[in-house]
Amino acid sequence: MKEQFEGRLLRIHFTEADKWQGEPLYKAIVAKCMELGIEGATVFRGIEGFGASARIYHARTLSISKNAPVMVTIVDKEAQIQKLLPHLDQMIAGGLVAISRVDAIRYSRSGEEPRKSQA
Amino acid sequence: MLSRGKALKVSIYLSEGSTHKGASSYSSILDYLFFRGCSGATVLKGVAGFGADHHMHSANVVEMSDRLPMKIEFIETPEKVEELLPKLEELAGSGLIEVQETTIAKPPELSKPKPERAREHVKIEGKAQMMRIFFGESDRWRDQPLHEALIKAMRANDLAGATVYRGILGYGAHRRVHRDSPLRLSRDSSMMISVIDTEAKLRAFLPIVDQMVEEGLVVLSDVDVIKYSHRAVEGSE
Repeated sequence: MKEQFEGRLLRIHFTEADKWQGEPLYKAIVAKCMELGIEGATVFRGIEGFGASARIYHARTLSISKNAPVMVTIVDKEAQIQKLLPHLDQMIAGGLVAISRVDAIRYSRSGEEPRKSQA
Repeated sequence: MLSRGKALKVSIYLSEGSTHKGASSYSSILDYLFFRGCSGATVLKGVAGFGADHHMHSANVVEMSDRLPMKIEFIETPEKVEELLPKLEELAGSGLIEVQETTIAKPPELSKPKPERAREHVKIEGKAQMMRIFFGESDRWRDQPLHEALIKAMRANDLAGATVYRGILGYGAHRRVHRDSPLRLSRDSSMMISVIDTEAKLRAFLPIVDQMVEEGLVVLSDVDVIKYSHRAVEGSE
């Protein structure tokens, strides 16, 4: 099954060490997205970077420091993304959020009912 | 799409061990034909033969020869053959390509029509588009991991370049949660492929994505390409 829509792609940049209420911020954001019924979210870990909330970071095998740059990518319709933004305002202390307009196509296996997004 | 009547039959003669940019020539050619929407192709392996270098190659168990003759055959419309030939000449390397006129007495029956695609590689600069494809690491297409199959398909369609990313956490359709767990060998992480090319080429590639991605999300956004340059590779176009 195939569904096309105009959506927004949200990228949130921060570090692996950032926390929200005791748990890693990236986990908290993904959990919040699920709670809001957002289409999907993916977390990527960078191997090097710097930014507002982090000094330069290198992925070193022996280093146990957990300060890698992290990017969360979220895609959904604009209304859904707007619902998420106030929560991000609260959760993100230092970081960057970028939004771009995208044309999206969602594929789901036939026979399974795609999850309704309340846009 | 083949129909009854005049067509061309192309035969490419190669040696089994010949390679193109590190991959075996015959499989590169087969991949190219496949992803370019060729109606069909067959690879035949010879038991003995000789070619331009005038060395006799035969299947001798003691020798374990990897220089056996291979023949790739396909039948297509003259327009399609004309479109495919330049790249095939490059892929065939020192091999021989023969084209002969033929008549189709009975066209093959397709269960699904293949999309029509034909575009030459263009240098991109300025306005372009970025395509991101999200799926799961355990997704497969035919007998290979989906990300590998997609990259192959993108290469065969001359897209400018693609990168595969593995996520450390994520969810998507049907709220299947993907986690990267270092203690497990079999993984089902979230995956993303990003590829940048002209809008026309990405749109032309969409029907292939349609066929290959069963479950996932594809997004297209406008980007400005600031710089696109690459080193000249020996033997490349």
